[in-house]
Amino acid sequence: MSGILVVAEHRNRALANVSYQVLSKGRQLADQAQMELLAVVAGSDVDAYAKELAGWADRVLAVKSDRLEGLLAEPCQKIIAHLIRKIKPKITLMGHSSFAMDMAPSLSVELGIPLATDCIDIFWQNGDILVTRSIYNSKVNATYSFAQSETVLITGRVGEFSVEEGGRQGQIEEIEFDFEEESDYKKFEGYLEAEAGGVDITQAEVLVSVGRGIKDKKNLEMVEELARVLGGVVSCSRPVVDYGWLPSERQVGLSGKTVQPKLYLGLGISGAFQHVVGMKGASIIVAINKDAKAPIFSVANYGIVDDLLKVVPALVNKISELKGKTE
Amino acid sequence: MDIIACIKRVPDTSEADFIKIDPAQRDIEKDRLAFKINNWDEYALEAAVQLKEKLGGTLTAITVGPEDWNEVLRRALAMGADNAIRIDRDVSADDAYTVAVILERVIQRLSYDLVLFGAQSEDFGSGQLGAMVAEMLGIPHATLVTVLEAEEGKVHTQRELEAGTLQSYTIELPALLTVHTGINQPRYISLRGIRSAMQKELQVMALDDPGLSPETLVPMVKLEKLELPPKGKEAELIAGAPEEAAERLAKILKDAGIF
Repeated sequence: MSGILVVAEHRNRALANVSYQVLSKGRQLADQAQMELLAVVAGSDVDAYAKELAGWADRVLAVKSDRLEGLLAEPCQKIIAHLIRKIKPKITLMGHSSFAMDMAPSLSVELGIPLATDCIDIFWQNGDILVTRSIYNSKVNATYSFAQSETVLITGRVGEFSVEEGGRQGQIEEIEFDFEEESDYKKFEGYLEAEAGGVDITQAEVLVSVGRGIKDKKNLEMVEELARVLGGVVSCSRPVVDYGWLPSERQVGLSGKTVQPKLYLGLGISGAFQHVVGMKGASIIVAINKDAKAPIFSVANYGIVDDLLKVVPALVNKISELKGKTE
Repeated sequence: MDIIACIKRVPDTSEADFIKIDPAQRDIEKDRLAFKINNWDEYALEAAVQLKEKLGGTLTAITVGPEDWNEVLRRALAMGADNAIRIDRDVSADDAYTVAVILERVIQRLSYDLVLFGAQSEDFGSGQLGAMVAEMLGIPHATLVTVLEAEEGKVHTQRELEAGTLQSYTIELPALLTVHTGINQPRYISLRGIRSAMQKELQVMALDDPGLSPETLVPMVKLEKLELPPKGKEAELIAGAPEEAAERLAKILKDAGIF
């Protein structure tokens, strides 16, 4: 019987948020097509994850092996390939995580099946599955169908699918998996957790955050000044760390920190989803960007479409003036 | 160490506020856009050049695209590539799988220790190509690499997971890595450098050179239509000259109790 198979992901003793998101999407797609929803979780100790997943899935396949210490792409690819061959799900669904980016493309080639990654929508149309992706810096949406195939592989964008209540009690099946002899051409050496830095941006109530639009490191000076008059801290998006202008501890987003300040003032930040997932919980979001079509303006409460290098000094003056009046 | 770097040319849409979709909904109108090397590929090239400078060997840059894609190969040659190959093909309707099939055919006939890709492209961002080619070549891979050190016969890499965590691997060569931004600071290439790279030879291959034909290249994923994203929630825009806008924003922030 064909169904929908969700590949769940875990790290640091918890299921990944994105796994709940794609699980909820998978539940919806399965209900719409009256299909079974299956979830697979692999690891050295998966009992707790399997119980959790059974809240959404009709059947949970729990693959337990000491080889699965850490969630590594190669052994997982072998397991998922085996399960897809055996179960022949109509769709296999994963979050578009770093793990999926490492595994899904090679898995699709191994099985010779279509793959669509980082999808922002997944939907049925006349019995076929279609996906929408966000391309060209979030400025265009592209809808795709798949070549004729028994099964397709889809990864869903992080933060795109809302988590619905599970409330089910699916069956849990333990699966034995025999790994072939281990090859040592690729040796896992361990995880390196991010080092704690000098400034903890997650504790700041006001973040003045800079992106690529700052253009030059020397312009950070006026940004520091704005943060100072607002009683806040300077954070940034990825390019600013890539250029070496600020340390990685200041980075907001998927590969950096998740923040929830009272004010998030984004300067020259376009608002790629990798950044937005890290800051959309802020109470007030203000964006200053000269590109009126920058996706940040659909997240922000207030926006100024202009050159930040002109607005920031003016803003420093006005805030100082207003503060002077009250003090 | 012989290195292959696969690169592409992309339209720069990062600050374009005039994107239009053609009436057939198949492509965007590109005549007003500037084109450039894919951001991630610039980091991959820099990583390749640094390894070559340290360990010797050759660097071959490869792209699959029409004639105006030569400019990214010129850039690669200016950065320090020894050879440049363009497989002549309009890839605008191709999916990652199709391009992977072409690249695998070309790469498998070359001698290499390490193949580098950018982790994803700026235009479509599917992040599939590198790991697909690795699987087709039957060599190990790691994606999203932010630390890369090489010695004889192996590479030590760290790849990026979420929230700043890194995953560390030692991988025996030959191998394929996809490179993330921030792994290095790509060197500045002057126009003069690119002009002098015009002297270097650029090899152009037809699809049938590696034994492929257009009929054999069938995409697995098919574009149905392009659309502008639906208008969602929009920010309340504060208009006016910088001074005026700043004054209004300052008042809003003060009223909200920020300062």
